[in-house]
Amino acid sequence: MDDFLELTVSAMASGCIYGLMALAYLIVLRPTSIINFAIGEWAATGAFVGVGMLSTLAWPHFEGPYILAVVAVVVVLGLLGWVVERLTVRPLLRRGAAVTSPILALLGVLVIFRESLTLIYGADPLPSPPPFGFRRIEIGPFAGASQQFFIIAVTLSLFVAVWLFFERTVWGRAFEAVALNRRAAALMGINLGRVTALAFAAGASVAGLAGLLMSPLTSAHYMMGLPLAIQGFTALVIGGVGRVEGALLGGLILAFVEQLGARYLPIPSGLTLAFPFALLILFLLLRPTGLIAPREAR
Amino acid sequence: MARRRFASALTFAMALLAGTAAAQAQDVVKIGVITDRVGSGKFYAEPVTRGIELGAKMINEKGGVLGKKIQLIIEDDQNKPDVSAAKARKLVDDGVVVIMSNTGSPATQQAQTVSLETKTPHLTPANSADTLTTQLDNPWFFQTGPLASIQLATLMTYTKARGFKKVAIVRDNSALSQSFAESFRKGLDGVGIETALEEVIPQGATSAVANLQKVRAAKVDAILQAGILGPEMLQFFRAYQQLGMKEPILGSYNLSIPAYLTMAKDLMEGVVFVDAYDETKPEAKAFRDIYVKDYKEEPSSLPAYGWDGIHLVAQAIEKAGSLDKEKVRTAIAATTGFSGAIGAKGSSWGFRNGSRSGFDPQGAVVRIIKNNQHGPVVHSGQK
Repeated sequence: MDDFLELTVSAMASGCIYGLMALAYLIVLRPTSIINFAIGEWAATGAFVGVGMLSTLAWPHFEGPYILAVVAVVVVLGLLGWVVERLTVRPLLRRGAAVTSPILALLGVLVIFRESLTLIYGADPLPSPPPFGFRRIEIGPFAGASQQFFIIAVTLSLFVAVWLFFERTVWGRAFEAVALNRRAAALMGINLGRVTALAFAAGASVAGLAGLLMSPLTSAHYMMGLPLAIQGFTALVIGGVGRVEGALLGGLILAFVEQLGARYLPIPSGLTLAFPFALLILFLLLRPTGLIAPREAR
Repeated sequence: MARRRFASALTFAMALLAGTAAAQAQDVVKIGVITDRVGSGKFYAEPVTRGIELGAKMINEKGGVLGKKIQLIIEDDQNKPDVSAAKARKLVDDGVVVIMSNTGSPATQQAQTVSLETKTPHLTPANSADTLTTQLDNPWFFQTGPLASIQLATLMTYTKARGFKKVAIVRDNSALSQSFAESFRKGLDGVGIETALEEVIPQGATSAVANLQKVRAAKVDAILQAGILGPEMLQFFRAYQQLGMKEPILGSYNLSIPAYLTMAKDLMEGVVFVDAYDETKPEAKAFRDIYVKDYKEEPSSLPAYGWDGIHLVAQAIEKAGSLDKEKVRTAIAATTGFSGAIGAKGSSWGFRNGSRSGFDPQGAVVRIIKNNQHGPVVHSGQK
């Protein structure tokens, strides 16, 4: 039982990271119908920007407070997302290109980001200091590392904030309206270009934050983006592309299947690699809309 | 007329420049170095290259080789086999007498096709794959790095001596880690130690808690760490600490790479690993003093491989008495009793009985990590 409770904390933390990645996909996908596979590299960029703030990379012998790193990641990644939308997506949409064109262009962006990270920060993994150390914490019957509890707390808070944004604010409603019907939303006076730019900026910020939160567990390294992109996409497919809460649910299900499977299934642990892909195929075949269906127009 | 005069002047200037270049070429001994400055092998290739650079500097300060200065020509192969062969060819075209390969064993293997074809002496000071001198019958290639089989045998001797009966192997899913684990399994079988389970932390995993819980449940005497990927190894050490585990951890020579000490800071206390460096050995002490004076930091074992490698090459060229590649090859092949910074106390390098792999079978050691540093030797050799 102790093992199960320990594993619950670990799987929840991993699931929260996957959920954030799925949310980053969703924020871009809902209003634009564009699947942005570059978000994995944005997560890696977020990790490096955060580590740069926290360690000696950018400012020798300077260890910034963690909140500075969070702000830097959100702002820098938001700007990068906005710039990427301006330079690669908008020109294509203006020319009436098919929706596959920006997806392919963003795959090019993925390569540019990864190679730039290697050139700027080198190929060595960089240690990332956790904000509250890495000691074991026990809360009731649950035990885990302080960073895992931190990830869970930050992610749940962020999901609540994003849910409130979509449900309670005019801008959130505008996003939803564009997602439901772009043409009708434009006729109602919603600025499609601005919504698209904001979606990219917000998606990049969320992905960057996921990278920063995860980096103390894995270090910041230039190869961290692709697995996160796959795990986030799988979580999105499981939870459904229509609702914020679906992203979190999908992430948690994926992480629990991965970690409980690795612990309790009588199979070689190397086979757990196949779990995300198996789930992805299963859901695409049996329930392509995911567990939580998108909201219908009201 | 003016044009003709200009052409004559240009021809004269070019001849002068060519003459100067030729004179300069004769004044130096060109040695090619293949390193990895941006790829996956950078974190071990670059420290080895630093050792070569320092060694060349010291040799030059003492008058060089055959009265000429050593000139290093360094090329980056990004640890990619195809690029490595192309870089080896470029080095040969540049007129190097010897090529030294510092990146991964597969890249060095591929570069051998060039040294064999162009008949250029080729040495790897740090690569450990046993197959480098057996897969290709290349009389121009030499290896002084500690063979994986020697390291394994040394670690197994230590494991057996500690009385461990049942162990777990933890690795990642990279090809090299898989190969390490397989060697570990065979070695453990050979000394009658049971491998209770083998856990794999896949690339991109976000937690190793499940893997380490299984290891904890198996109640093993020790854990053999066969991972090579930094992020996945970091998760191993994090989970080990988080679960409060106490089983001794024994690592491959991969843990001698200093980058892990920073990446997994405060997580590796008491971990033992195979190495080929004993800092109390007089040659290692001498190397360390020069290194610290020059680079203002403590060396790991990696630069010592490069340091020894360039000294062995310089000694062979001196013995050959010329820059003729065949003579240099013969001189390298005749090397025996070379005692450098690398290797256990009392061990020496030499290419005995026609072997092109020169590391002393008793030269590997087992060291312990203390205070985030590679600490003292706790076991030496295979006896």
